[in-house]
Amino acid sequence: MVKVNQGSPQHWALRTLGVALIALVVVWVPTQMSTSRIGQFSDAFVLIIAAMSLNLVLGFTGQISIGHSAFFGIGGYTAAILIKDHGWSPGYTFYAAAVIAFVVGCLIALPALRIKGIYLALVTLAVAVLFPTLVKWKKLAWLTDGAKGIDSVRYDEIPVWPILGELKGRDGRAVFAYWLAFVLLVITYLVCRGLVKSRFGRSLVAIRDNETAAAVMGVNLTVTKVLVFGASAALCALAGVLSTLRTGVITPEGQYVTLLGSIVFLLIMVVGGAGTLWGPIVGGLVYVWLDNTTRGFGSESDGVIGFLFGWSDQSPATLILGLALVIIMFAAPYGLVGLIKRLWAKVVIVVPKPAGTSLPTTGH
Amino acid sequence: MSETASPSSRENLLDVSGVTVTFGGIVALDGLSFAIKPGQICGLIGPNGAGKTTMFNVVSRIYQPSSGSVVFDGKDLLSVPAHEIAHLGIARTFQNLALFPTMSLLENVMVGAHSQGKIGFVRSILRIGAARENRELRDWSGDLLTQLGLGPLMFRPAMGLPFGTLKRLEIARALAARPRFLLMDEPAAGLTHAEVDELGDTVVSIREQFDLTVLLVEHHMSMVMKISDHVVAMEFGRKISEGTPSFVQNDPKVVQAYLGVDA
Ligand SMILES: Nc1ncnc2c1ncn2[C@@H]1O[C@H](COP(=O)(O)OP(=O)(O)O)[C@@H](O)[C@H]1O
Ligand SMILES: [Mg+2]
Repeated sequence: MVKVNQGSPQHWALRTLGVALIALVVVWVPTQMSTSRIGQFSDAFVLIIAAMSLNLVLGFTGQISIGHSAFFGIGGYTAAILIKDHGWSPGYTFYAAAVIAFVVGCLIALPALRIKGIYLALVTLAVAVLFPTLVKWKKLAWLTDGAKGIDSVRYDEIPVWPILGELKGRDGRAVFAYWLAFVLLVITYLVCRGLVKSRFGRSLVAIRDNETAAAVMGVNLTVTKVLVFGASAALCALAGVLSTLRTGVITPEGQYVTLLGSIVFLLIMVVGGAGTLWGPIVGGLVYVWLDNTTRGFGSESDGVIGFLFGWSDQSPATLILGLALVIIMFAAPYGLVGLIKRLWAKVVIVVPKPAGTSLPTTGH
Repeated sequence: MSETASPSSRENLLDVSGVTVTFGGIVALDGLSFAIKPGQICGLIGPNGAGKTTMFNVVSRIYQPSSGSVVFDGKDLLSVPAHEIAHLGIARTFQNLALFPTMSLLENVMVGAHSQGKIGFVRSILRIGAARENRELRDWSGDLLTQLGLGPLMFRPAMGLPFGTLKRLEIARALAARPRFLLMDEPAAGLTHAEVDELGDTVVSIREQFDLTVLLVEHHMSMVMKISDHVVAMEFGRKISEGTPSFVQNDPKVVQAYLGVDA
């Protein structure tokens, strides 16, 4: 076990090494991997953004939301409608989707201020259930195209980003979608990090830990909750736009637009580690990996899988995925990030800089 | 102590008059009136259930009285929302602890300084001045923790630490708001005799250092009587006696109220 002082050269070296390793993987994926793998990573990035957005509201502020699939859908539909009906260039729809979702998020947060716990869960559940019904509604068909949804939502031509060189064809689109998702992931991460590591962020955790005490410390509960809900909705809408641009379609029953989406975001956040900045990242990667691995398990598989699940004539994918997630949650009650932190602490301990201007203090 | 001027020559910092609070059928405060002068340590005593904590919660704007008025430094507190109270310079500690258990001691105190900070939603996203404010609040909070003897624990989560330690954390967190008026709800609960004496000295010294007015609820009579400039005694939501410590201590009504009560 090594002790490293926070902010010391060794600490900076460790951090630089970490960033370099991540950068290596991030570049490795689109340059060395198959198009389908690249697509899986893009999918993971979309889910990570959505889980990060949920994490702000639920993980950090302690306000349950099962309605985030609706914000995801708002993002997707905003992009689809603006691009197909109004000829917008896809890039600008991110801004529009974020603004619209921010406003809707704030409006939904207003009634949510008066209610807590299971009641808030129910209200947001209603939002999640209502959204697909609303976009299927006949009277809105002029806007949303009803049950069949909107397709061919995409960049007419792959935009040219100088550092990426010229991208062509299906593979080129996949690579571009990957980098677009990555850039938005970084932006989302930086927004969340900025929010969390500030006076505003401390007030979020204070609300989660003890609402009354937070108010006594001067935290305006109403404004804080409304803003964090709005910000969360806006970020989740970005994930929706990305997803729609990547797949080219959005339908009322589409992936992550229904209640199932909310549950997937929730799972990723919990498995990764609620209330941590890296939780959704780890959770999202693990979820997509498990999802793709188990999806290959047909009922005719041999070996252990075949032995265990051969009795069923359906694919055991969902079952195995669910089991794997339950096992993770038991093994890592504070999420995978909590587990990683505990293990890492056996190797390196970062000693925080003592706080204060007067006497030096020693941290344990 | 510092209070030598005649009572009427200085304005009151806090003026409570005719405050009534009811919960269903229970009358927790029954037309309570009293006043505190700037710079005083005012002891608030009374048997359990007398309504002392309820009084604190009225000042914190957690409970809304059905009648009466509370004026702080000329301002009608009952028209101020709860989150503005800290900005007016009023801080408190909680009898049964109301800390942020997942946060470190340092972060707890930094939240206590919330009203002293400025970085909100937009500036935290754009990171305009956030790092600097964090540094300032961090050092300020660290100093307070060190002063209250909690320096070595500052990076530990509040969860799981002993009650006495957390009681001191409550004081550090309240001071972080740079209050003018500090309400302490049974700060000596659960402390040993020696620790109670030490706490009494701490209260007197922070009063000097931070130029505070203090409202102190405490069952340890020796401490209350030693450090208070003025004492208010309550029973059943009403004031039964008021005056200098020695006067209140010997008031038959107070003695009567405490009969059979472990004081
Ligand atoms: N939130 C509440 N709901 C119902 N009754 C309450 C509440 N808070 C206080 N009370 C009642 O008000 C009375 C005064 O309580 P409290 O102010 O806690 O007394 P003290 O702090 O002097 O021991 C008690 O009878 C108590 O049961
Ligand atoms: Mg009490």
